[in-house]
This record gives sequence, structure tokens and C-alpha cells, in this order.
Amino acid sequence: MALSTEELSTVIPDYTVDGIGEVCPHTLNIALKALKKAKPGEIVMEVTDHSIATKTIPAAVKMNKIAEVLGIVSENGEYKIYLKKL
Amino acid sequence: MFFILDMFILAGIFGFLYGFLLQKADFCFTASFRDWISVRDSRIGKGVLVLIATAMLGFGLMLTLGFASVKQVWSMPIGFSNLIGGILFGIGMTIAGSCASGALYRAGMGYIQFWIVIACMIAGNLLFALVYDPWAADYVMEPLALTEEGFSLFQMNLPFLLIPFLIVALMLFIASHQFGWIGIWQGAKESLQDMKGNPLTKSHWDIRFVAVLLGILATIQFVVMSSISITGPETRIGGVLLSFFFGEDFIYQNTYLNGMFADFPVIGLGPEETLVIFMIIGAFVSALLSKSFRIRKPKASRLPYAIGGGLLMGISSRMAPGCNIANVVAGMGGLSISSLIVIVGMAGGVFIATAYIFKMPLMLFQKMDFDFDESA
Repeated sequence: MALSTEELSTVIPDYTVDGIGEVCPHTLNIALKALKKAKPGEIVMEVTDHSIATKTIPAAVKMNKIAEVLGIVSENGEYKIYLKKL
Repeated sequence: MFFILDMFILAGIFGFLYGFLLQKADFCFTASFRDWISVRDSRIGKGVLVLIATAMLGFGLMLTLGFASVKQVWSMPIGFSNLIGGILFGIGMTIAGSCASGALYRAGMGYIQFWIVIACMIAGNLLFALVYDPWAADYVMEPLALTEEGFSLFQMNLPFLLIPFLIVALMLFIASHQFGWIGIWQGAKESLQDMKGNPLTKSHWDIRFVAVLLGILATIQFVVMSSISITGPETRIGGVLLSFFFGEDFIYQNTYLNGMFADFPVIGLGPEETLVIFMIIGAFVSALLSKSFRIRKPKASRLPYAIGGGLLMGISSRMAPGCNIANVVAGMGGLSISSLIVIVGMAGGVFIATAYIFKMPLMLFQKMDFDFDESA
């Protein structure tokens, strides 16, 4: 279930984590740590300026069935990645 | 040897295209292995394999057609330094957060962290040169060497395309087992999806598609110019900077640096250095077009990683020798044995740093409730 940018803007995350200024693998670790704390159904949103994290984080959570990727909002080199814990 | 202007222009075009393509695919060699062992994400790994396959077939075809000779193939002496250099490089790139080519394209995207990594890599290159002469040449590099000459499988008296065909056939066989022939066809079609509309303004191109383009580009460069490399030219850039402060004699008196400039008419920047600089420019333009450029300031707590990883990559890339790009593209494309050993070492280094320094989950080997060290 991929949401549009407008739909994502109305989503209120249960956990917001800051990955600005971080690079791999820290960007992924931050998301995994938050997902570990979250309960199933809760939403984790990571803000990051590391472009490749928009590929690696969704791939990692999908591959290992950790979370559902709701979508990514991208704006001038800053990205918000929305994940819903499974 | 004198360089003519055309060679600089050609090198600039190659560099621009490499930087542009690497940025478009976010082609991270570190992630290709790290993400596979850690979270079983093989997307970038597949891109690297496609790149190797394309380069091998391209180099083999050019040799068969007589557009290039076996002498042009980049292969270095074989020894334990290949393995040790590879391991240290693998650890360095995992700590720093990017490989040699990754640091360049990300520098062009505005990452301050990777400008620091590049500066520290160059410092590491020079540090190696200053330790090599007078000390490490005799006491470290010499004992580690096994052969005096490099060896490429292309030097065997076999049709040039035979080994590339066999390796690519093996890759296809394994892929067909895993995904089926229909799956491979679907993948090939999917890889072209990003070309719809205006691809230049898109922030991401499929890595497999870009890998084919990079392989073709490296093949053309192999025929008309040289084997692609990054850290050799970076060492020379460092040498030129050093000559500003200590004079040209300082460079000529150091065995290692003198050797690096052996084909140069003066201590200065040649076509390969131009290529490396234009990789940053190509990535900058690519990022601007897709609105992905941004001055990205690193977290202060991560600076030791950038500095340490960069220094380690600089030193180890001289020892191995060569960086990820030289060994994966020119080395594997040229079926060079030394490069194969370096790559095995790099994979080992990435594993060591992922498992023991960052203490990441290793889901390829063990299913776990993504339970990992919180402090990492």
C-alpha cells in the first residue's frame, strides 16, 4: 500500500527519528532501532538527507518482513521515509 | 611522453559520464556486499555482477577484434599484499561509508563528509609513499610479494571470449535457478523503466541498467585511453600538492612517487587526474538535474569515521594496489588474478567491519529478531 505525498503528509508517525547528517549503515540502524521499539501497526518515520537510504531502508524492511513501506517524501535532497511495523 | 589536449578532453568526458551514471544509480560498492550479508538486500550486488559481466565481455570482445592488446590489460604482481590491502580497504570503506568512487560522486552531491574522506584518502596515499621509501618497500611489500609480474587469464592461449562467456554463462545459470528465465527477462525489462519520460531529471536509474552502461564506458576507455582507476590518480593529485610545498625534487627523490610520475613530462595533472576531477562534476550536474544536490553536513560524531576510514582506504589502496573501481571494473574485466584476490579481501574487510565494528545484524547467516547492539 503505497501512499501519495498528500496522503503521507496527513500521517502522524508514532516514532520520528533523525537521520540528517548520517550515512550508511547508521541511517539503516536508526530505522531498525526505532522499529524494534515500535509495536505492530505503529508508524516510524525517518528524516534523512542520505539519498541511498531511500533504497536501502525500504529494501531491508521488506526483505526481512520487518515493516511495510508506506512511502517516501522527497524534497530538495531531504527525504522522509514512512514505515509501518508488521 | 607528452599529453595532447584531446586526451584531457576525452578524459573529462569519460569522468563526467562516470560521475553522472554513478550518481544516477547511487552505485555504492560498500553497500553491495554489506547490505547483502546484513539485511539480505542484493539489489546493488546484482548491479556489481552485471558491471563485471559487461566489462569482461567488453574487454574480451575488444581483444578478439584486435582493438586492444593483452599488454593493455591492467594486472599487478600477485602476493599477500593483494589480500591484506583488500581487507584493509574493505574495512576502510565500510567505516567511511563509501568506496573510492562513492566518495567522488557523493562529493559532487554536496556531502561534506565525503570531501573529508577524499582528503584523508589522499593523505593516506602520501603516507604510504613516505613509508614505502625508505622502509616499507624492503620490509613489508617485498616479503609479501609472490610474483614479479601480474597475470591475466587473457594471457592464456585461449580464445579471448571463452572465459568471459563461461563466467557469464555460470552467472546466468545461477540466476535462472533462482529467478527462472522469465524472472531474468522481467528484470531486464524492469531495468529500463526509468528511461520513460525525461530520464535526466529523475533522481534514480535502475542499477542494473546503469551497470551495463558503466561496463560499456569502461570498455571504450580501455580501448581509447586507459584502464579506469581512481586512487592512482588521487595519489598523483596528492603528489602535485606536495610539490607545491616541498618542491619537485621531493617527489623525484621518493621512489614510490617518482614511479607514479614515471610517464609524466612534469609533475602535474594528466588525463587520468582530469577524469577523476570530472567524476565529481558529472555527479554534481546529475544531482542538480534531479534536485538531489544539497550541502549535507555530517554529524560531528561521525567525523572520526570519515577520517579513519579515508586514511585506511588511502594506505590500503596503494598496498593492494587499486581501489574498488580499478579492481572490479578494469581488474575483473581484464581477468586479472591480483584483482580477484583484492576483491576477495575487500569482501572480507566489509564483513569484519559490518560484524565487529558496527555490530550489524547478519541476517544472511542467521535469522534473528533484528536483535543487534543498541550502541552501534
